Amino acid sequence: MKYFITIIMFMTSLSASAQNGKATTGKKTFSRTTTISQYIDAGPSIVWALLTNASDFSRWNSTVVSIEGEIQEGEKIRLRSTLDPNRTFKLKIKEIIPNQKLVWGDALGKRTFILEKKGDQTLFKMSERIGGLMFPIFANKIPSFDESFEKFTADLKKEAETIARSK
Amino acid sequence: MRKEELATEFEKIKPQLKSFILRMTTNVHDTEDIIQDTWIKVSSKISSFKEESSIKTWLFSIASNLAIDILRKKKRWSENVTDICKEAAMKNPAHFQEVMKIIETSEYAKFEIKEHIAFCFLCIAKSLPLEQHLCLLLKEIHDFKVKEIAIILKTTDALVKYHLHSARQKMIELFEGRCALINQQGICHQCTEMNGIFNPKQNVQEELMKIKMVREAKKANKVHLFDLRMEVLKEIDPFNSKAHELQLHHLEHNRKVMEKYLKENP
Repeated sequence: MKYFITIIMFMTSLSASAQNGKATTGKKTFSRTTTISQYIDAGPSIVWALLTNASDFSRWNSTVVSIEGEIQEGEKIRLRSTLDPNRTFKLKIKEIIPNQKLVWGDALGKRTFILEKKGDQTLFKMSERIGGLMFPIFANKIPSFDESFEKFTADLKKEAETIARSK
Repeated sequence: MRKEELATEFEKIKPQLKSFILRMTTNVHDTEDIIQDTWIKVSSKISSFKEESSIKTWLFSIASNLAIDILRKKKRWSENVTDICKEAAMKNPAHFQEVMKIIETSEYAKFEIKEHIAFCFLCIAKSLPLEQHLCLLLKEIHDFKVKEIAIILKTTDALVKYHLHSARQKMIELFEGRCALINQQGICHQCTEMNGIFNPKQNVQEELMKIKMVREAKKANKVHLFDLRMEVLKEIDPFNSKAHELQLHHLEHNRKVMEKYLKENP
């Protein structure tokens, strides 16, 4: 019984830490997935507005240098990130469910944003999977996304909560 | 509501509505047309006013939507609109002659720095995305509440808050970087330069000190300075100010320059 309670406590602490804005990365032979989640004291529509207004992104998000294009399903965007400011990522908007889900990506990777309404809050989840048959060859050259994910999430939380509090 | 009552209310609100539409469109003719179309629409649909919102909100809603239909088809201006237009004006001697003629013949053409502050904002705010521009004008200049703006623009309170916040942040940063009146490192001195041309005998420092935003520039933070800029704007009706004929001429010039510039620089 004691053993069982310990396992439950361990699982609970894992679940809590998964929503505290800390990124985790899981690695497999042919892929790598970074995930993060965070409760935000703002409704999903505010968080959604921040995530889908391309030209406004760099104003509040310290990990994004610029995004050109429209964040609409089927559209292509050109994203420059602080992780590699000299490179422009050409990404396709693969899926949009307003106020709930946004997916963009290219042949090598896919980033998914999920918003869940939790009362007056939003549970924000972001994950990025990169991989493919060639992944083992270039895996070591791709920097960790953990710090960038944490900054992204912290910026989003701060901005969304500021807007939600405004009158 | 009877048509006579509506007409009275419409006439009361019309000056505010006109200045709002002008700030959106920067086009006097479009503004006149939209105001006329607004009247035609409201007077023929008087029964659709259910008094769930104020009459002012209803009229602004109809006029806004008419303006949005026109503006959706047009490109937004560049943040450096005043630089582009200044360069164009400098290359066009005829423009300067027209300006001097207006100054000599009109009693509503005395250049004032605070009028130029309002004019400058009117032009630069056109670089904001349309929804942000609308929310900013409705809240900061026309004192609508978030809920009322949501009714006018047929959107949610949350989105209005987002547009408003983004618009304010962008304008605060833009003016902080540009405006030499509030930041010694600011790159734009157009208002004081023009004051030197049109009011050569005036003591510019004395004039500047009459403007609270300038007086408080050193001690106040950029957010407060933006609020003070909005106070300057609220004081000035672009159709009835002391220099409105001069400023409307400037506006027409800038609009034509920007339309040409945006066509040539897609």
